[in-house]
Amino acid sequence: MGFWDYLSSRHQQLLTDAFQHASAVFQCMVIATVLGILIGVVSYRSGWGSGLAITTTSTILTIPSLAMIGLLIPLVGLGVAPTVVTLTLYGLLPIVRNSIVGLRGVDPALVDAAKGIGMSRAARMLRVELPLAWPPILTGIRVSTQMLMGIAAIAAYASGPGLGNEIFRGIASLGSANALNEVLAGTLGIVVLALLFDAAYVLIGRLTIPRGIRV
Amino acid sequence: MTPRSPAPAERPPGEHEVKGHAFRDELSDPLAEPEEAASPAPGRPARRITWRKLVLLPTVVAVVLVLTYFWITNVHLDAIARNSIDNGNVRLRVWQHVKLTAISTFWVLIIAIPLGIALTRRGVSRAAPLVTAIANIGQATPAIGLLALLVIWLGIGPGTAIVGMVIYAVLPVLSNTVAGLKAIDPQLVEAARGIGMSAPGTLGKVELPLAVPLILAGVRTALVLNVGTATLATFGGGGGLGDLITSGIQTQRMPVLVLGSILTVALALLVDWLASLAELALTPRGLEVE
Repeated sequence: MGFWDYLSSRHQQLLTDAFQHASAVFQCMVIATVLGILIGVVSYRSGWGSGLAITTTSTILTIPSLAMIGLLIPLVGLGVAPTVVTLTLYGLLPIVRNSIVGLRGVDPALVDAAKGIGMSRAARMLRVELPLAWPPILTGIRVSTQMLMGIAAIAAYASGPGLGNEIFRGIASLGSANALNEVLAGTLGIVVLALLFDAAYVLIGRLTIPRGIRV
Repeated sequence: MTPRSPAPAERPPGEHEVKGHAFRDELSDPLAEPEEAASPAPGRPARRITWRKLVLLPTVVAVVLVLTYFWITNVHLDAIARNSIDNGNVRLRVWQHVKLTAISTFWVLIIAIPLGIALTRRGVSRAAPLVTAIANIGQATPAIGLLALLVIWLGIGPGTAIVGMVIYAVLPVLSNTVAGLKAIDPQLVEAARGIGMSAPGTLGKVELPLAVPLILAGVRTALVLNVGTATLATFGGGGGLGDLITSGIQTQRMPVLVLGSILTVALALLVDWLASLAELALTPRGLEVE
């Protein structure tokens, strides 16, 4: 069976897998973004706090994803749970790091000016500091998403959702007629998803980065 | 690479950045104690490798490994679990894993650094956008998919796994080498040529030493990536610690799974630690950020 025949005969299954892959990555990215920015906001002012946040998250990133999943299975079982925990943990580092770098890069004079016109601490953070730090944070989110696309594929080994299942089906049936089609469909599907997400982020950047600081 | 941070001048003292990673010198903590940071006598360089860096991580890893050893020797193992742990199988898998990582990293360095140098030379640099485009698509390719395709193409075995690992890890070293060489002040290169240094001399004595921090950061990334990708070698019959993890999942023997995972984590952390020491030791003194 040729690759195109394979795609047309299995498109239902493939679309379901692709949708689950994208939705797992997207939902975990939302959690990781909220957590990451929160950690950044809480820690960027203190030297040891941000050091601790960056060291911890980069240590997590050093751990191979298959080992992380292996350690989570005894705790949370197989299936969606280890996938979600793993993806969220790995997504944190680039976001935390870039939030801290971005927030530190905000000109103190601007924050002072905001204080001078009577803005509260929360308003300064939400209306001055975070918008100015948003471009590096968005870059962090992009980097995270690319990474999670690949890790989500591995999570399929622990019965997680997504296109990784297609790849592992191919590996399990090495030598059979459809092995190549399955692996190719899964791999290319993930590449396409990653590129689509990236395009979406470029668009989000256009829409959300304040006009004054656009390069 | 897109710029991720604003002007370096706004960075607090004691912190520097390599390829978007913010690093902070352990000794100075300017935000907490501004007077302290200024106090060390000028002229005496701070020790680049501190005791904390040297001791903390290996100690933690050693303690975890000892605890794991006691746990695995005392926990009740049935025949299936014992089968995947006994007869030196664990030692074999660790050794395979180290070998896979070392060999693939060696090839990555052999391929990526000369290629990176070539891409920044005049004449060849026109190919740079093409390479960047390929690299970007390559980055979006999942490691497991790439490995599976190679297995179908080249057959199973450790060789296939190494090819996959090399392809996957060439990217960070290549892009860091190019970035490091491009970031050099062109005036320095011109000055070197002006005092009569040859092109290879300039490359060896001026450009490469200046690019060393970024290149080393890329090598460290590649090493850590390789330890991770080596766990996937098991899907292509390449052995390694992934074998313990997958057989633990397949036979539903948690001790095997946990043992494999802990050993993998320990290996990854140790490799990263060694690479970070090498990074500190090999950076030319003149490039250290005070």
